Amino acid sequence: MKTIMLVKTLSLVSAVFLLGCSDLGVKPWERDLLAQDDMSIISEPLESGLNDHIYFSKEASSGGQGFGGGGCGCN
Amino acid sequence: MISQQLKSNKKFVTSHPRRVKANKALIGIIAGVGISLLSMGINAKALTLKEMNNQALISTEQAQQAPLLTQKLPHIVNTKQVQTSLSDFNGKVVLLDFWASWCGPCRASFPWMNKVMNRYQDMGFEVVAINLDQDVKLATEFLNQVPANFTVLQDEMAVMPEAYGLIGMPSSYLIDKKGRLRAVHIGFHNSKVSDYENAIIELLQE
Amino acid sequence: MAVTKKSNQDFKQLLAGASCALFAGNTLAIEAQKDWTYDAATLIYVEGDSRVTAIEPVISATKAYDSETKLNIKVAGDTLTGASPNGATPSDSVQTFTGPSGNGGYTTAANEQPLDDTFKDTRVSAAVNWVAPLNRDWTYGTGGYVSSEHDYLSLGANGSLSRYFNQKNTTVSFGLALASDTISPVGGTPEGLTIMSAYSGDDEDDDDDEAEDKDDDDDDDEGGGGSESKNVVDVIFGVTQVINRKTIMQFNYGISSANGYNTDPYKILSVIDESSGSNYGGNYQIDGSNVYLYEKRPDSRVKQSIYWQTKYQLDNNDILNLSYRYMFDDWGVTSHTLDFKYRFRFEKQYFEPQVRWYKQSKADFYQRYLTSSNYETEDYASSDYRLGDLETITLGLRYGYQFEDNTEFYTRFSVYQQTNTGDQGFGKLTSQELYPETTATMLTLGYKF
Repeated sequence: MKTIMLVKTLSLVSAVFLLGCSDLGVKPWERDLLAQDDMSIISEPLESGLNDHIYFSKEASSGGQGFGGGGCGCN
Repeated sequence: MISQQLKSNKKFVTSHPRRVKANKALIGIIAGVGISLLSMGINAKALTLKEMNNQALISTEQAQQAPLLTQKLPHIVNTKQVQTSLSDFNGKVVLLDFWASWCGPCRASFPWMNKVMNRYQDMGFEVVAINLDQDVKLATEFLNQVPANFTVLQDEMAVMPEAYGLIGMPSSYLIDKKGRLRAVHIGFHNSKVSDYENAIIELLQE
Repeated sequence: MAVTKKSNQDFKQLLAGASCALFAGNTLAIEAQKDWTYDAATLIYVEGDSRVTAIEPVISATKAYDSETKLNIKVAGDTLTGASPNGATPSDSVQTFTGPSGNGGYTTAANEQPLDDTFKDTRVSAAVNWVAPLNRDWTYGTGGYVSSEHDYLSLGANGSLSRYFNQKNTTVSFGLALASDTISPVGGTPEGLTIMSAYSGDDEDDDDDEAEDKDDDDDDDEGGGGSESKNVVDVIFGVTQVINRKTIMQFNYGISSANGYNTDPYKILSVIDESSGSNYGGNYQIDGSNVYLYEKRPDSRVKQSIYWQTKYQLDNNDILNLSYRYMFDDWGVTSHTLDFKYRFRFEKQYFEPQVRWYKQSKADFYQRYLTSSNYETEDYASSDYRLGDLETITLGLRYGYQFEDNTEFYTRFSVYQQTNTGDQGFGKLTSQELYPETTATMLTLGYKF
């Protein structure tokens, strides 16, 4: 029950957001800040990995983060 | 256009009777090819930027005048210089490049742009690089580390990239001697450098 | 400035902004020319109350062939020493437990937390990952992974595919990871929910414990030589979206299915006496020995998570990083994770305070202890605190200094505190501390070059 409700809400929310997503963004020459290393989604992969290991050993949850991202969008 | 050509040829025919036969044949061929090309041009739809990307040169029939040829922009290095526009390079083949200091492939493209500038400038070729940094200081710093022996202009208001429909950094556009847009290359790839150069050579030979 | 055209949109966009997952390696504008870049660090992890201490050195090497094509190799090792709760409850009398090897044993004093200090472990892991574009619109990634310790081997492979939209403002990604784990517990795998044979010193075969003999037969059927296996399939779908010049968001949905041996072969549950009398709430005994059962978890676990992250750069160059994850699985565990980091950025250095809050609700089969009335009728049971109701908070501070040659030294100090809650027991058991709070201190020292 909980799962079904959650999935329904998620789908609705995501659909709305993803439709809106097409209007969001910047011009290719406005990515100066996003091109900085510190602005990537996973900017410290080593720290991320060490933390994941600790939390996986102490808690019941893991994962969630999958991809890096952002960047200068070049080429 | 064709009727005008025929009128002027009449004069030629009367003054030079010996060459007339050969030239008549040549004219016939050119006219025939011209007509077919024209009709092809009418049928073909305008190419989108993506389609133009990395294609061989756009034919002269399909080519359009490059936008904002008369847009004056300041120089980055010697700021006291008179502002320059693309029309100042009329009669030359221009590689119009858009770059920024934070763009990795842009940095990779500079040595190549220096190279082609050195190689073809005497043949009527110019590189005009337009900087799109939000902070000019970063651009100047970049140029200190990576010197450019070509024209570098600053477009603070980003009027040029808007007009050229820029969809990726860096992008380079080839403009022929008559100010027509003949090629678009989105991104810079070392593996495609020979293709870029061939396009320049082709335009220089026109 | 070209930026001013967009400034009115910023606020609207932030409101409308949601999440998307993204892929795409970040370009190092200046460093793109360097061949190999490295990041090396060591983590020192110390738990209070003579529990676990771990040291984990790791090195990551990345070669950028061009701005979007990268090869990454990561090698890590970790050595673990110390004691870990074995799942039993503390008692008002001394408890003796059979060690994992079946031969050794260890003792817990009265009113002390039963901790298994027999494991010292060294683990080595290596991972290789490759990322490259297929064309302007598509990027793919692939990788492999191996992790090995004396009683656990994990092999994994992963692949991902990303598609850009809206001039690379939107990226839709799909990732798949497969892992195959082999668990070879010291002394073989005990049969779940069977009675742990009492440590008797010399005797190895106890006639009283027919269950023990049955174990070996079953083990041969399952894993061969007392080892077990587990396969995990992870699927993740994500969208990353550039909101504006200063903001980027990611939204991921993940589903993970683990099939096989999910149990911890070293964990047990105490059986508490429910019969009225002097031993009400004390350890249930058979033939004068405390009864402990090996835990047992279901063979299948399906976890799902949704994850949202935002990175926002302020006008003063500082960066705010906020993320939330909601996880739920078919074991009944649900959890919330909220992570907040703020990086104060200066010319050559940065300070980054970090706060992480985590809360989980227990698994359906989690029980702090079994009772004399239910211990023979449960299908699954575990008293592993990691599956119970718990709340944690991490406070950290990271500092980094960038040198002239663009190398960076960094350090991170953090404190992790976990609070477990649950059933307080009955009778004599109520006077025992069933949920001790644990605190861990961590220090990381690293260098990027």
